[in-house]
Amino acid sequence: MRQVRMLAPAALALGAAGLSVTAGLAAAPARAAEGPGLRVYPATAEPGATVTVNTAACAEDGAADGDASAVGAGAFTLAPSAHEEEVIGQFQVPASAQPGTYEIRASCPSGAEASGDLVLSLAGAGEAVHPRGHVQSGVGGALGPDPVQTTAGVAALAVAAAGGTWLLHRRAQATGI
Amino acid sequence: MHRISNRSIALVSVLALCSGAWLVHSGTSGEGPPQPSAAQAAPARPGAGSREAAGLAASVPERIRVPSIRVDAPLTGLGLTRSGSLDVPPPERKNLAGWYERGTTPGEPGTAIVAGHVDNARGPAVFYRLGALRHGDRIEVDRADGNTAVFTVDAVAVYSSRDFPDEKVYGPAARPELRVITCGGGWSERTGYRGNVVVFAHLTAARPRR
Repeated sequence: MRQVRMLAPAALALGAAGLSVTAGLAAAPARAAEGPGLRVYPATAEPGATVTVNTAACAEDGAADGDASAVGAGAFTLAPSAHEEEVIGQFQVPASAQPGTYEIRASCPSGAEASGDLVLSLAGAGEAVHPRGHVQSGVGGALGPDPVQTTAGVAALAVAAAGGTWLLHRRAQATGI
Repeated sequence: MHRISNRSIALVSVLALCSGAWLVHSGTSGEGPPQPSAAQAAPARPGAGSREAAGLAASVPERIRVPSIRVDAPLTGLGLTRSGSLDVPPPERKNLAGWYERGTTPGEPGTAIVAGHVDNARGPAVFYRLGALRHGDRIEVDRADGNTAVFTVDAVAVYSSRDFPDEKVYGPAARPELRVITCGGGWSERTGYRGNVVVFAHLTAARPRR
């Protein structure tokens, strides 16, 4: 099963409505595993939170049935979003839900299915964790000599040399040497 | 008689000489991505461009545009690495940036974080020219709720990896703010890039997406 976020360009076409929960995201450093095609936002929430899911799996159907019964939130509906080719839906996690990882599913009228994981953490278990340290966002591939540009430059210099030689040759002819 | 004049030959030769010299010079120097000056690292003085807009509700960001350095790229969600540092988008996709999805969404009150590569193994990537941003430049983020959050640059700084100011870069903010991060600060064979270029910006407007 592929890691959607890392590999599938389709997963980049996100779509989710505004939601009411931002606080209390858990301190789990590991990225939540994802099933194919269902984005869960926030991927880590606390009991009582409103969670938004969206998927591109039902592109032609324009709607889908969501199933959050694993976490005790029952069925919900995914409707077309402002974003093309995506359906979006929301559900509320029961305040009594226990911490853990739950699979949220969506099934399209066409029969296609998508799922994604929701990680529940206890309220107040940690404040929103922010990253630490520098970001590894380059390898130096833009540094160093550019062979294509250098080759073009050498070619242009050769043209200049040829032109100069030609001129000298003409001048020599004109003066009858 | 069609004879090419000496003047034409001379003109072409001189042009070829100049462009050839420039190409060879810049092709072999490999000077690297632009880096911000010390003046840009200091916060911008409050002025006309620094008005503050009210925060928006949370909404997933989908695209970032930085007109002054011609950036227009989709955004993917980012988590943390095992060591707790911000993860980065897959490097093989050079025109892709990411946002920290366990944090604030851009436009919401707080500190939203966007990161992207300065280069990959093949050459420059999405934020290659990030260090050339200046006070007052505009950054736009398209959000899933149909709004575009417009941020204005307050400062552009370089921080060393060894002494990275976590709280300043990632710490909470009362107003809607944005950080855009890429690699920078010099490069060495052994350690790679020595630090990060960090752009500090705050929300100055919100409008419906075009």
